[in-house]
Amino acid sequence: MSRPSRRQFASAALLGLAPKSEPRIAGGFVFEGPDQGLDQGHRIRDKARFATPRRRERIPVVIAGGGVAGLSAAWRLDKRGFRDFVVLEMEAQAGGNARSGQNEITAYPWAAHYLPVPDKHEALVRELCEELGLLQDGVWNERWLCHSPQERLFLHGRWQEGVEPAIGLTRKDTAQFRQFEERIQELRATAAFRIPMEEGLAKATPAVRALDTITMGDWMDREALISPYLRWFVDYSTRDDYGTHVSDISAWAGLHYFASREPEDKGPLTWPEGNGWIVKKLLVKLGRYMRTKSMIYQVRREGQRWLVFTENTIYEADAVIFAAPTWLASWIVDPAPPRWPIVTAPWITANLTLHRWPENKGLEYAWDNVIYNSTSLGYVVATHQNVAMYQPQTVWTWYMALADGSGADQRRLLLGGDWNYWKERILADLEKAHPDIRQCVDRIDIFRIGHAMPRPLPGAIFNPERIHRTKHTGTLVYANCDLSSLSLFEEAQYRGVSAADHILKVVSRSGA
Amino acid sequence: MAIVLFLSVFLIAACGLIYELIAGTLASYLLGDSVLQFSTVIGSYLFAMGIGSWLSRFIDRALVARFITIELLVGLLGGFSSTLLFLGFAYTQAFRFLLYVLVVIIGILVGLEIPLLMRILRERFQFKELVANVLTFDYLGALGASLLFPLVLVPKLGLVRGAILFGLINAAVALWSTWLFKEHLPTPGIQRAGCAIVVLALCIGLAFGNVITDTADSALYSDEVIFAKSTPYQRMVLTKWKQDYRLYLNSHLQFSSRDEYRYHEALVHPGLASIASPKRALVLGGGDGLAVREMLRYASLESITLVDLDPEMTRQFSTHPLLVELNSGSLKNPKVHVINADAFPWLEKNDGVYDFVVVDFPDPNNYSLGKLYTTAFYRLLRHHVAQNGVAVVQSTSPMFARQSFWCINETMKQAGFKTYPYHVYVPSFGEWGYVLGAVEEWRQPAQVPPGLKFLTATNVHELFDFPPDLAPVPAEPNRLSDQTLVRYYEREWREIVR
Ligand SMILES: Cc1cc2nc3c(=O)[nH]c(=O)nc-3n(C[C@H](O)[C@H](O)[C@H](O)COP(=O)(O)OP(=O)(O)OC[C@H]3O[C@@H](n4cnc5c(N)ncnc54)[C@H](O)[C@@H]3O)c2cc1C
Repeated sequence: MSRPSRRQFASAALLGLAPKSEPRIAGGFVFEGPDQGLDQGHRIRDKARFATPRRRERIPVVIAGGGVAGLSAAWRLDKRGFRDFVVLEMEAQAGGNARSGQNEITAYPWAAHYLPVPDKHEALVRELCEELGLLQDGVWNERWLCHSPQERLFLHGRWQEGVEPAIGLTRKDTAQFRQFEERIQELRATAAFRIPMEEGLAKATPAVRALDTITMGDWMDREALISPYLRWFVDYSTRDDYGTHVSDISAWAGLHYFASREPEDKGPLTWPEGNGWIVKKLLVKLGRYMRTKSMIYQVRREGQRWLVFTENTIYEADAVIFAAPTWLASWIVDPAPPRWPIVTAPWITANLTLHRWPENKGLEYAWDNVIYNSTSLGYVVATHQNVAMYQPQTVWTWYMALADGSGADQRRLLLGGDWNYWKERILADLEKAHPDIRQCVDRIDIFRIGHAMPRPLPGAIFNPERIHRTKHTGTLVYANCDLSSLSLFEEAQYRGVSAADHILKVVSRSGA
Repeated sequence: MAIVLFLSVFLIAACGLIYELIAGTLASYLLGDSVLQFSTVIGSYLFAMGIGSWLSRFIDRALVARFITIELLVGLLGGFSSTLLFLGFAYTQAFRFLLYVLVVIIGILVGLEIPLLMRILRERFQFKELVANVLTFDYLGALGASLLFPLVLVPKLGLVRGAILFGLINAAVALWSTWLFKEHLPTPGIQRAGCAIVVLALCIGLAFGNVITDTADSALYSDEVIFAKSTPYQRMVLTKWKQDYRLYLNSHLQFSSRDEYRYHEALVHPGLASIASPKRALVLGGGDGLAVREMLRYASLESITLVDLDPEMTRQFSTHPLLVELNSGSLKNPKVHVINADAFPWLEKNDGVYDFVVVDFPDPNNYSLGKLYTTAFYRLLRHHVAQNGVAVVQSTSPMFARQSFWCINETMKQAGFKTYPYHVYVPSFGEWGYVLGAVEEWRQPAQVPPGLKFLTATNVHELFDFPPDLAPVPAEPNRLSDQTLVRYYEREWREIVR
């Protein structure tokens, strides 16, 4: 409990009331229940029996999975004038990790919440941005660039600007940050680290390849980068984008995070509903291909065709773009591909509805608010991109990657804790920076994501099976962003589009 | 003897009414809406007096001693009522609660006084005579108090010390009652000691009365606060010093009635007078109606839309007699349409085009306000300005916040406006700046409306001349994604404010 101010104390005494007892906070888990994601997935895992559907439908192309990868494949097919396809999505709402929600205050993201401003190499992302009115005549639409102030960090009991620690650093610490930046610049100059990552791989020298055999932690030790502030900062970054600690992540992947982009002072692009904004825009055009609540439980080869089974319908397709998580293919595709070599990270996110903002001293609220040395990744303010001057209420999206130890153990923790357990952990985390948070929150809605994203552990990037799966052959090709082992919008889009390009060739050859 | 007794009645009646008037006045000063405040205060006070009268039946013994105790309590509570209320307003959020608790307690005590006194006097007078006299003096006391209050007490003594003085009168009545009715007091020494303590406390209060008011409200505003209101959006305080009325929003001076005409004439006429028969105008911010007052001088204007966030602000400036006098009732003019909305989203949602737009927002001292000064905002604004129209933006002080001023100019330029910066001297603000933005080439007006207090067809041109100490300095434009202006502004004002 924070010490009540004199003013509060006086009024409480006058009213004859003790400081208010803790208000009730409502909420629950989202996207859970008998016919939703988590439980549906477990039915596949447990090889539950599915009723054989009555309906059959002939369709040249099926896209499995309506996340960003599946939508991007659809975007490409539609743009190339190919319209004979459906997107099968198991959830009621398309978007996958880019799904969003909406309440009476604002829209808010459930997971992916921003898109870095693409640089000149990223032609596909730029093409999409132009289409969505984000980029006009080479100028970025200011409305959706992240507004000031962008980021702040709660360090040593107060907020500082930016996420890179700046207060309490010794001269040595500062020198280490500089040294790290120099290493990164050298790596950037090799052009081996690009987005999409595929475009840099050709330039990978043996030295660069070797980075995928050690962890980022090993690499930092080797470079004598030991400043605790720097280690925290790098660890924060790898947890934030890849759900993986510095001590676990492949040095190649960890360095890719920093070396793949030019340091930009503007951006990222963000919206109240995060990347859900892009999904909504895409759905305006592509909604007609989308079949939600269509979980695929089997994809079976039959002669030249593929039979795609959902609980209502069997789709007879000439080709399949598998944009659901790639590891799932080993469970549902027949004949089954080899075991997918890349493990996944569990995540938890929560949307907190606040009827008022917690007291805030010092720096104003930023878009991204990070707490130093917390197990969480902090929170993003969903109302930040609103232009209204007066915003008494807000929604915060709180993020945490369960990155300690093995994914399987962490999944047990994730699913073992009930809502109350997670609510308390979230509030305890936020209380460090906002002592009165409990007085402000009305609801906490929690999203548990068992297999949220691929984990680029050492060996993942140059794994032969991974590389093999990205080379498109035949009539079933993969497209999820986990093919890159890097969970990014750009990778999802790139994988979706390249899969679509391959399938366009296949179907035109077969004359369909 | 009889006359002395009835004088007591006169005095306690006067005191009782004074406390009621003080509570009502303070409530209207601090909460606004005087009709509501006075009605509810008087109502609860009279009701509480009724309770007091009814309670008097339960007092059976030691009537005189009880009467003296009640007098002392009234003196103490009533005497310190305005002090308590001022402090309660400044330091707690429970002002309303405190107000009605005080009103009810004092009301009950005052309600006890007359019945008890009548019972004490019953043995000395005939009932017929007693009732007639007591009530006569009671009403006389009320008359005296109601004349004394506005004519002497408020102007000469102020509310805090005035109340204490009347508290002393209650204590004095108590004290002389110890002699008047000494045959009913077994140990008058005790009552006299009580009187002495209360008198002492009140005298100390009297001596430090101004210290108390200082710490309470006048600590915030050196002038008399005549109206204050907290809305969900801001805190409005109107102060008065001689004939100067000043409005503060969140403790920032909004205008002073002595020189606001300079600010508002300069805000409106250079732009508006330059347009040949303007028809439609828009004001963003400016809920005080003072810019609208200036705009109403143009007969050709068919409609003026005013968009201000705070409904209480526009309501007060449409109804409060003093404020309506300041803006000449501009907000009640049938040409004027008041809309209470957040300006940026409102502009995004509406597509009206205007010949003249006034943008009069508070200075950009935080990122939420800073959004209203960005390229994104001005680009949007430009779509609402007619081809030969202009927009004028209040742009803080080119003297105290020079880079901020030129940053606003640069930002409007980047958004596609042709800009024409100008400035004026407003004594209560200092040197103040505006940026006029036009869609096409713009020419200064040859004429200004007749009857202005400051602007003339000649001096309007001088506004556009910048002496070297206000001349342009380089500044980055202010963007949503990079709010340079808030940083400039904060740095520049920090250098000046002590
Ligand atoms: C918490 C979190 C935050 C993130 N933040 C960002 C960010 O800010 N920026 C960023 O660029 N990236 C972010 N990402 C990465 C994000 O995952 C990618 O950007 C991208 O959205 C992944 O898209 P995808 O289509 O490859 O995979 P997914 O989004 O996982 O899509 C797969 C789809 O397949 C469906 N599916 C699965 N199984 C079946 C089945 N059997 N039948 C039918 N459909 C099925 C799923 O329901 C899902 O819709 C974040 C990820 C997480 C978990």
